Amino acid sequence: MRSFLSILVVFGIFLTACSKDFLETNPYGQPTSDQFWRNADDAVAAANALYEPLDDEDYFGHNEQTFDICSDDFWRAGDHGEDQAIEEFTFDASNDQLTFSYTRKYEIINRANAILLNVPNISMDATLKSRILGEAHFMRAFAMWTQHVVYGSLPIITETDYRDNNFNKPKATIDEFRAFMEADWKEAARVLPATYDLENIGRPTSGAANGFLAKLYVHWEKFADAITAGQKVINGPYPLAANFADNFTIATENNPEMLFAVQSLEGWNVCEYEIYTTPRPWGGWDFHEPIQDLVDEFEPNDPRLNATVFKLGDIVDLGGSDGPTEYVAGLSQTNYHFRKFASWRTSGGLDENQNVPLLRSADVYLLVAEAKIRSNQSGDAEINAVRARAGLPAKSNCKMSDLIHERRVELAGEIQRHIDLMRWDKAGIIDLVAHYAKDRGQFKPARTFQRPKHYFFAIPQAQIDLSNGVLTQNAGY
Amino acid sequence: MNPILTMRNLCLTLLVCFASATVAFTQITVKGTVTDGTTKEPLVGATVQVAETKKGAITDNSGAFTVEVPSEAATLECTYLGYQAQSIGVGTQRSIDFSMVSNALGLTQVVVVGYGTQSKSEVTGSISSVKGSDLQNLPVAGASQALQGRAAGVTVIRNGGAPGDGGSIRVRGTGTINNADPLVVIDGVPSGGINDVNPNDIESIEVLKDASTAAIYGLRAANGVVIITTKRGKFNEKLSVSLNSYTGTSSPVKTKDVLTAPQLAELKRERYTNDGITVNPIWEDPQYQTQKTDWQKELLGKGHTSNIDLTIRGGSQRSAFSISGGYFREDGMMKNSNYNRYYVRINSDHKINKWLTIGENLQLTRQTGTFQNTSSAQSGILWSAIRFHPGLPVKLADGNYSTAQVSGEFGDINNPVFTADNKDDEETRHRVLGNIFAEIRILEGLKFRANFALDGTIYDRDEFAIKVTNQIRQNTVNDLNRTYSESYSLLNEYFLNYEKTFAKLHKLKLVGGLTAQSFRTDGFSAGKSDFPNEDDKQRVFDSGRTLDYINGTKQNVNLQSYFARLNYAFDDKYLLSATIRRDGTSRFAAGNRWGNFPAFSAGWKISRESWFNDKGLVSFLKVNAGWGRLGNQEVAPFQYLALINSTRRYSFGNTQATGASLSRVPNQDISWETAEMTDFGLDLGLFENRVLATVSYFVKNTENMLLAPPTLGTIGRATIPDQNIGAVRNKGLEIELSYQKTTGDFTYRIGGNASFIQNEVVSLGDRKFLSSTFYGRPNQEIARSYVGNAIGTFYGYQTNGLYQTPEEVASDANIKNDPRREQGLIQPGDVRFVDLNGDGVINSDDRKILGSPFPKITYGVNATAAYKGFDFTAFFVGVGGVDIYNADRMQGIDPTYPFNMYAETMNRWRGAGTSNEIPRMTTKRNNLNHRTSDLFLEKGDFLRLKNLTIGYTLPAALTERMQVAKWRFYITGQNVFTITSYSGIDPELGYVDGNRQANVDYAQYPQARTFIFGTSVTF
Repeated sequence: MRSFLSILVVFGIFLTACSKDFLETNPYGQPTSDQFWRNADDAVAAANALYEPLDDEDYFGHNEQTFDICSDDFWRAGDHGEDQAIEEFTFDASNDQLTFSYTRKYEIINRANAILLNVPNISMDATLKSRILGEAHFMRAFAMWTQHVVYGSLPIITETDYRDNNFNKPKATIDEFRAFMEADWKEAARVLPATYDLENIGRPTSGAANGFLAKLYVHWEKFADAITAGQKVINGPYPLAANFADNFTIATENNPEMLFAVQSLEGWNVCEYEIYTTPRPWGGWDFHEPIQDLVDEFEPNDPRLNATVFKLGDIVDLGGSDGPTEYVAGLSQTNYHFRKFASWRTSGGLDENQNVPLLRSADVYLLVAEAKIRSNQSGDAEINAVRARAGLPAKSNCKMSDLIHERRVELAGEIQRHIDLMRWDKAGIIDLVAHYAKDRGQFKPARTFQRPKHYFFAIPQAQIDLSNGVLTQNAGY
Repeated sequence: MNPILTMRNLCLTLLVCFASATVAFTQITVKGTVTDGTTKEPLVGATVQVAETKKGAITDNSGAFTVEVPSEAATLECTYLGYQAQSIGVGTQRSIDFSMVSNALGLTQVVVVGYGTQSKSEVTGSISSVKGSDLQNLPVAGASQALQGRAAGVTVIRNGGAPGDGGSIRVRGTGTINNADPLVVIDGVPSGGINDVNPNDIESIEVLKDASTAAIYGLRAANGVVIITTKRGKFNEKLSVSLNSYTGTSSPVKTKDVLTAPQLAELKRERYTNDGITVNPIWEDPQYQTQKTDWQKELLGKGHTSNIDLTIRGGSQRSAFSISGGYFREDGMMKNSNYNRYYVRINSDHKINKWLTIGENLQLTRQTGTFQNTSSAQSGILWSAIRFHPGLPVKLADGNYSTAQVSGEFGDINNPVFTADNKDDEETRHRVLGNIFAEIRILEGLKFRANFALDGTIYDRDEFAIKVTNQIRQNTVNDLNRTYSESYSLLNEYFLNYEKTFAKLHKLKLVGGLTAQSFRTDGFSAGKSDFPNEDDKQRVFDSGRTLDYINGTKQNVNLQSYFARLNYAFDDKYLLSATIRRDGTSRFAAGNRWGNFPAFSAGWKISRESWFNDKGLVSFLKVNAGWGRLGNQEVAPFQYLALINSTRRYSFGNTQATGASLSRVPNQDISWETAEMTDFGLDLGLFENRVLATVSYFVKNTENMLLAPPTLGTIGRATIPDQNIGAVRNKGLEIELSYQKTTGDFTYRIGGNASFIQNEVVSLGDRKFLSSTFYGRPNQEIARSYVGNAIGTFYGYQTNGLYQTPEEVASDANIKNDPRREQGLIQPGDVRFVDLNGDGVINSDDRKILGSPFPKITYGVNATAAYKGFDFTAFFVGVGGVDIYNADRMQGIDPTYPFNMYAETMNRWRGAGTSNEIPRMTTKRNNLNHRTSDLFLEKGDFLRLKNLTIGYTLPAALTERMQVAKWRFYITGQNVFTITSYSGIDPELGYVDGNRQANVDYAQYPQARTFIFGTSVTF
């Protein structure tokens, strides 16, 4: 008996106490950070991760577009309780719409910061390394641009801040913020390739960096710089697509005009904006319905109207058992939906390969035209290039009113209108208070735009509170 | 000397003399049976003896006895462990049946504690004990439901009544915002999965509530310990076979009254007219103004619950066993919602020789369930049934389901009957829980025990979503998703038990040992879409055309521990207990793995003191107090490491790309949560212990509660690790009371318990509050946890009726600076929100705590009675002093959504003085009339007759002829009636979002009213 007992005890102690490593268990599936940043594969993977947040519904899958419901192009529709206050300028700093994309933008910035900190130390192919660093610069500035157009300015988190865990910073001034983006995009334009092979199409090119520089400069009213940067796009391998609709057609959506877009690949990474913008009975969620005021802006025979919206009587091939189906009253309250962001599979159902455009050459043409007009040069050539592609007659001696019209019809739904209107209001070109005070019917009643408060949205109140007084709210909130 | 006692002694003496005198003359043979007064089960091995001679017999396997009695003046005494002794005068009777009253809460009862047992009268901490017989044959899926209301300080909270839903068990409040589930120990194996055990197999459930009793489980005991002991065979017990079965139906207790089709059209037209907008023509169309369907009635039909099980139990001199197996099935009131359980249990004990005993427990279960979505306020199925257009039929003339595609005005809801009919979502769990133990008697009083256990579960969820194109919420590609995981835990432990009394005064009990347990899980999930054929047989991965994803995970965490406990009693008066557990866990960084969890307690049996002689009234009195420290490690492991997620997806053209980025920021210092508990108890027995009362008071301070600290958005989206920064306090009073009496053939017992527990958040680190999931489409914040208040208090606006006239709007100080007033956005018929911060503007700064989901009192009352063959049980549960946030009503009377509304909306505001509660009809959300406010806060108090059972046992004389030991029939009702002022469907609502939100009405699956008929036969 005693020997049996001692065997048991020894056995037991062996099983438990003697296994020194018993409490050394490690997580499976995710490497720890000190096992990363080893080689070119890790660097490429880190660069790929820069784009991953873009397709999220809280970013370009819906949220960023929702900031444009303030414009006169479309009605919010949908069932998001917080949207009415945004559209009608009655929101306060705790409105949820202000918070959805906030952390996603900083996530891209910090992924870029991690690349800028770690990739220089990796021994790898120099060309690839410089491209990856260029992508990081591009995406950091891009994320900041999406902050800039909403909040004006926010804390700038640099790679040094990221390394030192220095996350509670005050807002930069707007000039500092713009200068930071300028430096990043300039560096990106310097090192990024002009084009990519098919396997990398959709990564930012030097043309995309120059295009955004042009946009930044127009907002900054640095028109000469805008023209210089924009001309590099116009003169580069980024011609306008033969048809306006090519940009919104799945087969041709990555044509050279598409300087930058959210890529969507069915079964892999899907940008859901097409679900948001399509009618409920057709598989969508029925948000962002264009209003009559936008439709009326199109010149007669402008083929861009048909490519931009669905209207009553249009026959749309929904594929599958539905096939060609008429767009009828009842699908929409305004009688319109955006067509730009919608495609259906031949087998039925929304085709989830639909990209969301973020910058097109046509936009850059019109930015250059604006820079030229506003610095007393002729913008006719650029405006007419865009009009010619639409098959519309050329104009001469284009004024800002021509440019304003052209931008509206060319870029409807592409998150430009409200930003454009505010830019022109700041420059005294239009009176936005009066413009938004106009009653455009049930779906765009008169609204009170307060100048200058509403040039910027409020910074999420939660962020102000968390910063313990470091981060200050935008004026008026 | 007490003269009455003397007199009684004298009488007894005379009686004995008389009895002795008659012995020589007659010998009477008395036969009879001994049964449990409540369950009517025969009691095997009970002692029946003549009081005067102490001669008697032991009952056999059918509970029968035969004794020779010296005279008719003699008295028969019956004793049985765990039951109150009974005496019956013989007189002229030749057949005497003893119906024994159990000592359920009796003081002689033995309770199971960690790594041993203890006499209840010697416990110096707080243990609630529930007898298995209280849980038998209730129409519930598992023991956790059956435990509701049975013990003070133990609350069982179910989030609705979906089949198989066990609910959450909370011991002494909610100890943490993290996992607050108690540790479940089944037959000595810390394992979890309380609902796998057939309630009919349970001998007892003990809940270790305070630190001194729970500390032996150290790092896992902070939320209490629930110990389940299953029934075993006894040595020298005749083989018995019992067959037990019940079946019954369930039906809805209540549905929510909603508008009829004509009423809905009327109110819809009104909302457009009020806003000066053209009425959508669909609301003029007469075909949608004919009432066609009560969707809740269509959805909530009859359910069925049934159970059958068979037990074979017995034992020889050296081996004893119990084998049971059975099948339980619950089909819910909603179609395609069900739960099944097949189970087998084999327990055995073998005396190998004088010093060695080996035994085992083995439980095999297969559980399957199909579940409907009843939690979403966007597509939940009951939520949908309340709101789907009442003018649509279930199916159209062409046989297709009706659809809201008719018009965007009917809302984006799918036909709820269509959804229910097509639900294909099945979960399967196979579980093996087994342990083998060996006990060696080394010396008198010294035993060594080794225990090896395996607890393995295979989980499989198979969900097929059909292609939906004819409903408004579409699914254009069908898909199949499957999640599969295997998890198993291995335990090995060794401990010594020493028990000895020295000099008849010093009673010593020692236990000490070591244990190690590993936990591994290994799983994958995958999804495929585009199935060309939706036939049941084609719903397998091979038929899907597109691979959506394959994911796989693994995890291993280990726990290694040492423990010791000392119990010392001096002269059975002064009791002392000391416990220490040292635990090491692999969840944290090397320097933070080991912790010590001590506990001490002491008790004083006052009634044992010689000077305490008030024995007429107070028969037992004990006080005790204790303190101890416990831990909770149930948070995400390995948070001390920075992790890279390398499955970030993006694409370039048609090329799939994978990215990698930081997914978690590390916290090197993370450790477990600690709970320190102080406990005071008082046990009181009155009237020869016919009345027993236990009163306890406790204070439980949870510190180092793990919370992710407030995080600036500038950090991005990497997971921020928890830090040990929070604190929660629970304190409260618990009372358990029982009374039992037998008068002739009539036996009754009434037991009750009540808990008064206060929950308070003491610290959240730098956080001002903790938020919780927002509600539904309006994305409304409902619950926040603030320091100084309970977890998950309701947080929103205060209201003061509705504006009745334009003048009231114009003169209201609450909105004196609110720009919306000047813009005409606030109208009569809108809600008057109170400007709490006095700035003249209604905005998010005007919110406050509106109410609490924690009841001030939780109680249960159990009454049982037996008369001859009849038995009767009524069991009530209730809560008081609690609020419910009726979120469903928030949308139910909100006209801005294109849904059907509650019938009460007919009483809306439609001109000055028409209503001060239900706002006007409008499409506008300018005043957000239906935002979170006290308008939707209701009293959640209820008293529910949870169970009612009436049983009848056939007379032994009848069943004997059939060679049946016992045959009982019964009828049981569950949720028989409910008294509540709550306006929603069901006031029993549970947790949402961990512990951060509770008692919020999301139109959960309501609890059903169930009636079953059953029978138990023992051979």
